Amino acid sequence: MDLSGAPYGSLGTLSGPSITIQELKKDRISFILTETDLSVANSLRRVMIAEVPTIAIDMVEIETNTTVLADEFIAHRLGMIPIDSTDVERIKYTRDCTCSQYCSECSVELTLHVKCTEDRTKIVTSKDLVSNNPQFQPVVEDKNDQGILIVKLRKGHELKLKCIAKKGVAKEHAKWSPVSGVAFEYDPYNKLRHTHYWIEEDAGKEWPVSGNAKLEAEPNPDAPFDYNAKPDRFYIETETVGSLKPEDVVSMGMKTLLDKLGYVQMQLKEELASHQQDQTGWSY
Amino acid sequence: MSAAQNSTSPAAMETDEVPIEVENDKLEIISGSHNDHTSMTFSLKDEDHTLGNALRYMIMKNPEVDYCGYSIPHPSEAKMNIRVQTTDRTSAIEVMDKGLQDLIDLCTVVVDAFKAEVSNGDFEYDEDAVWP
Ligand SMILES: [Zn+2]
Repeated sequence: MDLSGAPYGSLGTLSGPSITIQELKKDRISFILTETDLSVANSLRRVMIAEVPTIAIDMVEIETNTTVLADEFIAHRLGMIPIDSTDVERIKYTRDCTCSQYCSECSVELTLHVKCTEDRTKIVTSKDLVSNNPQFQPVVEDKNDQGILIVKLRKGHELKLKCIAKKGVAKEHAKWSPVSGVAFEYDPYNKLRHTHYWIEEDAGKEWPVSGNAKLEAEPNPDAPFDYNAKPDRFYIETETVGSLKPEDVVSMGMKTLLDKLGYVQMQLKEELASHQQDQTGWSY
Repeated sequence: MSAAQNSTSPAAMETDEVPIEVENDKLEIISGSHNDHTSMTFSLKDEDHTLGNALRYMIMKNPEVDYCGYSIPHPSEAKMNIRVQTTDRTSAIEVMDKGLQDLIDLCTVVVDAFKAEVSNGDFEYDEDAVWP
């Protein structure tokens, strides 16, 4: 489709979607997506939260656990630990793998063995996990990061276990989400009246405008309501959990969306071919 | 020795029994009138609002389309139905294919714009800075 031309009426007046990055940090990105529809911007938001694949601990075999926490409690905590998933594309989904349960092509093995022998509390953190694949390690923020606390041990307590980390998406379990949150806003002045504020007396006083309002012209309060206006400027900001770079979350999200579309299109073509066969085979 | 699993989804258990699952029921055309190729309901497995709403928007942009809408009939069934009704100058399958292609083109533009913007580097960037 020619986005700069005039394929269908109103789209012709647009120059096509564009993106302006406002801020890019180690763990977050903020950008403005313009000249696209709300449904497309929302698809990007949804896909970043739930369909970008990462690696997370999925199975835990506990050999020794004499800590104060129950096995399943520790297993759950381990699942939530972000694992560096920069090379996630090198790992297969177990369901696509030829192995029967798991193998090095579709999983990463992490082991942990800590015992407290001193008379003071010992902490077990994500840094105590030893990965069999150096590309996939628990995330460490910087050199001052002491790791994510898993459990505290007293003298004599011991924890020994083996974890199998697998590739997955947050649609199945939120532990696979690469982001801790996505902020999504359009029309900060509520010119489109999509938001109905609950108020005591004055909406202007009780609902201060967001920071994104600085980037838009303040509307004239006497201006008539434009019932044809549609949202076309989206302020998106996301914070990652550390497993993927924020810019990669966005581009992998878009890639996931494209892969979905391509797959459906392929299936449609197949369906069409079998349909035509049906029609030549039978006469109605 | 004890074992604990922190994710036992029904889907995972099903795939244990059938190791290689060939997915060929992704898209189903719900049969209506056999002769009328201008009206069709497409049922997409494992899809939701992410694809449904954007695709609905893209298909509705086509001037040859009289009606397009989508629904997820039941929350515990991973299916999304998309209904298309067109003028008699085209067919629902053609319109669906064009909608998909248009959305692919649009997403490609967004990806390219984003990649260009990242490599352009004209924004606040701090490798070591961590929120806040
Ligand atoms: Zn495998």
